Amino acid sequence: MGHGEKGRQFKRLKSSAKEDHRKIVEDEDAYFGEEGDDDRPDDGKKRDFSKLELKPDHPNRPLWACADGRIFLETFSTLYKQAYDFLIAIAEPVCRPESMHEYNLTPHSLYAAVSVGLETETIIAVLNKLSKTKLPKEMVDFIHSSTANYGKVKLVLKKNKYFVESPFPEVLKKLLNDGNIAKARINPEGSNGTDGFTISKSMGEIGTGHEDLLNQAEVAAAAEEKETHAFEIDPSQVENVKQRCLPNALNYPMLEEYDFRNDTVNPDLDIELKPHAQPRPYQEKSLSKMFGNGRARSGIIVLPCGAGKSLVGVSAASRIKKSCLCLATNAVSVDQWAFQFSLWSNIREDQICRFTSDSKERFRGNAGVVVTTYNMVAFGGKRSEESEKIIEEIRNREWGLLLMDEVHVVPAHMFRKVISITKSHCKLGLTATLVREDERITDLNFLIGPKLYEANWLDLVKGGFIANVQCAEVWCPMTKEFFAEYLKKENSKKKQALYVMNPNKFRACEFLIRFHEQQRGDKIIVFADNLFALTEYAMKLRKPMIYGATSHVERTKILQAFKTSKEVNTIFLSKVGDNSIDIPEANVIIQISSHAGSRRQEAQRLGRILRAKGKIQDRMPGGKEEYNAFFYSLVSTDTQEMYYSTKRQQFLIDQGYSFKVITSLPPPDTGADLSYHSLEEQLALLGKVLSAGDDAVGLEQLEEDADDIALHKARRSMGSMSAMSGANGMVYMEYSTGRNKGMKNKPKEQAKRHYLFKRRFT
Amino acid sequence: MNSASRGRMPQVKIIAKNFMDMVASLPAMKLDKLYENAFICGAILRSLPPLAKKYVIQMLYIDVPITAKSMEEWVFPDGSSMHRVAIDRLIKLRIFTDTADRRRETTYRINPTFQTNLQKLLTLGEVLPREPMPSDITVRLPSLEDLEVYALEQWECFLLQLINSAQAERPSNISSSMMRILQRGLLSQREKGAPRLTESVFQFLLMDTNAQLWYIIREYISNSEERDVDPADLISFLLELSCHVTGKAYNSNTLTEIQKSWIKDLTDLGLVKLQQGMNESWFIPTKLATNLSVCLTDSSSRKQGFVVVETNFRLYAYSTSKLHCEILRLFSRIEYQLPNLIVGAITKESLYNAFENGIAAEQIITFLQQNSHPRVAERMPSIPENVTDQIRLWESDLNRVEMTPAHYYDEFPSRDVFEAACDYAREWNGLLWEDSKTMRLVVKAEIHMHMREHLRRQK
Repeated sequence: MGHGEKGRQFKRLKSSAKEDHRKIVEDEDAYFGEEGDDDRPDDGKKRDFSKLELKPDHPNRPLWACADGRIFLETFSTLYKQAYDFLIAIAEPVCRPESMHEYNLTPHSLYAAVSVGLETETIIAVLNKLSKTKLPKEMVDFIHSSTANYGKVKLVLKKNKYFVESPFPEVLKKLLNDGNIAKARINPEGSNGTDGFTISKSMGEIGTGHEDLLNQAEVAAAAEEKETHAFEIDPSQVENVKQRCLPNALNYPMLEEYDFRNDTVNPDLDIELKPHAQPRPYQEKSLSKMFGNGRARSGIIVLPCGAGKSLVGVSAASRIKKSCLCLATNAVSVDQWAFQFSLWSNIREDQICRFTSDSKERFRGNAGVVVTTYNMVAFGGKRSEESEKIIEEIRNREWGLLLMDEVHVVPAHMFRKVISITKSHCKLGLTATLVREDERITDLNFLIGPKLYEANWLDLVKGGFIANVQCAEVWCPMTKEFFAEYLKKENSKKKQALYVMNPNKFRACEFLIRFHEQQRGDKIIVFADNLFALTEYAMKLRKPMIYGATSHVERTKILQAFKTSKEVNTIFLSKVGDNSIDIPEANVIIQISSHAGSRRQEAQRLGRILRAKGKIQDRMPGGKEEYNAFFYSLVSTDTQEMYYSTKRQQFLIDQGYSFKVITSLPPPDTGADLSYHSLEEQLALLGKVLSAGDDAVGLEQLEEDADDIALHKARRSMGSMSAMSGANGMVYMEYSTGRNKGMKNKPKEQAKRHYLFKRRFT
Repeated sequence: MNSASRGRMPQVKIIAKNFMDMVASLPAMKLDKLYENAFICGAILRSLPPLAKKYVIQMLYIDVPITAKSMEEWVFPDGSSMHRVAIDRLIKLRIFTDTADRRRETTYRINPTFQTNLQKLLTLGEVLPREPMPSDITVRLPSLEDLEVYALEQWECFLLQLINSAQAERPSNISSSMMRILQRGLLSQREKGAPRLTESVFQFLLMDTNAQLWYIIREYISNSEERDVDPADLISFLLELSCHVTGKAYNSNTLTEIQKSWIKDLTDLGLVKLQQGMNESWFIPTKLATNLSVCLTDSSSRKQGFVVVETNFRLYAYSTSKLHCEILRLFSRIEYQLPNLIVGAITKESLYNAFENGIAAEQIITFLQQNSHPRVAERMPSIPENVTDQIRLWESDLNRVEMTPAHYYDEFPSRDVFEAACDYAREWNGLLWEDSKTMRLVVKAEIHMHMREHLRRQK
């Protein structure tokens, strides 16, 4: 045996690890709908479309379209920019690395396309023009069937009257055949004609950006004024009518548009962008999708962290010029939003109010901006008298714009609540990571609206708008002693603690901190989900840390010191730091433990350092500092972490990032001066991990409170395997609705899903 | 393979010997017989290295032996190695014969048959083995471009059969017995199931077309005896064929029966194209055939790269070739096949599969690098670093376990015996593992005999 024994151990590890993985994977499935493995066909289902007919001038055309909806786009084509803008409007990006992009046509993406004003025939014509091959018939049929009903009916709020509007009178007739809708209709007095629809002209889509891909006749057709037919409905019946139109009923989902220029009832807000607020091209583009036809559309805009989402939000508010309700995830980001409003626009200070558990401001005048948290609005418990008054005001007001930050973290039930409580004409959701294929996209699509725009990370990096991050996965071999314990059955609840506290990982972390602090003068954030590890690391290295239980005051103090002091260059954060805490100074992230295989967490954490720093020319390839931001993920080899790590990186890899693997840190001939150099120290650490109670080494659990979705109070919990992996963590809880019900309910849930969202062409 | 291409591919273990090496390996009698053909003498002359060529011309009209010493004086001292190579070549081909004269000095003289025939060739002009057919009979001859496309298609089709037979049976024009012969060095036959691809296949596929052709032709020749064919006749015929003009039609009725059967095989390889006229049939040599006697493999004919590998391990191959698809399938997961694009992914599973088949990480990386699409070829590195790193890491991950043959001992009668045994094993530096609690012990196999002896003594 000897070495042979080692081999066996390895095998045993593999099989036991597999079982654990499976368990977690099930949890993860509930989270993500398992994109990575599902939408990439395996060998058995490989798709052979080699019989498609190539057009003679195919080298000049940039894309291939497959019958199953997959589209491949060459980025080096001369038509790339136009093709990209078009594809991002009609299809869901799968991956966007350097040379070749992949997209999927889905019912959702086509819904989004028609809702920004693209018509079925335009989509097919442009796609055909760009395609190297003749378009597969299946794809044409798919576009037809997916867009047949979508985008045909709009709900427009004009002069405080709700109208159901459509260019197709026959569709309106169909709707009116429904008893509920017929009842909700308000018949105009003295109506003549058989239908009695109000007929008006409305502006066609302008500036879709695809003009150059269409011939003139087609452009003219798209921009021409269209006759629209409409009937009015009872405001109290709006939600009801909307419900009836959803895919599970009449299947004519209504697009919401706000004709804010003609809204004379709601008072105007005096808000303009300041001259220095120059939206960047991609921000401009996302706004043009929103305001394409002169009205404000509801929907979601996806921009990477650090790319200036807040400017998009503020710009949208200053175009609509009506009262705006801005929802953030926690008190810290409420402060940040309020600041962004006064930074980018000329709005008067007294017209911005923050409404949190600590700060209850009320604005004067008849229009303004209120910034608050989702929880404050959706809170179901008893409120203070003061809060009750403010909430009453929020309820009663008609908001021009409902601005929702970080929509990806908010549970659907909370959205429903918020949207039912507040009356808004237009809803804009902002997020950095709309991880695709997750079930919640359905909720978002119909609660807020379709995805209006999604930026390409790599293009923004190339344009110098966000930092060029060097990502690395650092492999830390387990020490012999830690690995032996890791493999023991009785330590199954301590697995995470063991691989996170692996002395080699600690040393790698310490090495990196020293290197970046001393050699480069960088500002470093260390992320750890495991509270035990967070505390151990931070104490041993004498660095400040923030976790759930850290008070608001202390947080602010630590963040302030990190921003300004030369002494504080490293802070340790638990997962409270994942979202929306803005720390623009940081440019290095070291991740020592994480939430199982959450792709979104990885992307959110990376987002902390995406804000571009330094001069653009230095950051360009060949510049002085091509990379000035660093993202390290430390993983203990041969443990579950390796498996998670691969999963976690998927989103970023699809965005075109690459992870470099570093196998020996600290370098072999150094490291004598780092902690845990001697075996005795390592064994002492091992003893500490083993003697800590199972509950102490678990994950941080966050509870709800009035402000935060990611909350203040922390409790240390029993470490079941799913808890260890963070599957119970509130922050990432929102997908796991099926979890408590157990596996039996899962298929049923899928069956319940609307046919549009079942995978086609399986 | 010549040294230039070997430099590019350090991993290649299969070396397709030069065709002339094969000629040189024929027995003396057969060689002499070969030189009875004037045009073969001409072909051989053309294939020689420059210095050897010069020596042949120089000696052509000299009928007496020349001493090695005096020949050495023909070159500068720094050319002596080239001189040796040239002489060596000539001796091996029996163009020169060496004898020791009375003073035991080595002398060279030119092979008389070769000499006479070459003289004839020079004075009477080149006589082709056969004349091209007049163009009024051979209508619809393919253009040179068409012919080249045809040749490469045939060759690729052949290669596909060669490697694919390991995966699925496909109808093949080449007799299956012939195919098996050609696969001999490339596939390893397993006791059960289909033959398995060996690492050689991958090395083979990595070579350029000419090198691959050498390899196959060599196999074809060296196994000819099994088919009751005289290799000399075959070589002679192939040399003959290489003297024909590319794209011209030659009447099939000038061939013997056995030659006709060879022509059929060569058609499958893409060396010739067969056409049937009203009354007559003819064969048209392609570039592959006429290149046979060219000494150097033509590295300038390397095909343009076609592979793009992205940082997310996706692989896009601009190719319509089924062969490319099969090659890529050796180490990646093919997901989409489009009219002129193959889409795949390099995954851990697909690589493990490749490693299991004996393909090395380095070979895969070399293949990807050498076939990089021009779009990414200028980029440094052409294959993203994280991908190449990961491929290597996955490979080294598999090589972590080291096997040491060992013997296991237990049930020691007493602790003293156990400990003495441990000490003994330690002395021999052969103790691999011990568990003193349960008195179990593992030692290296090489000291097993000593250990047994030791334990016997204890009793």
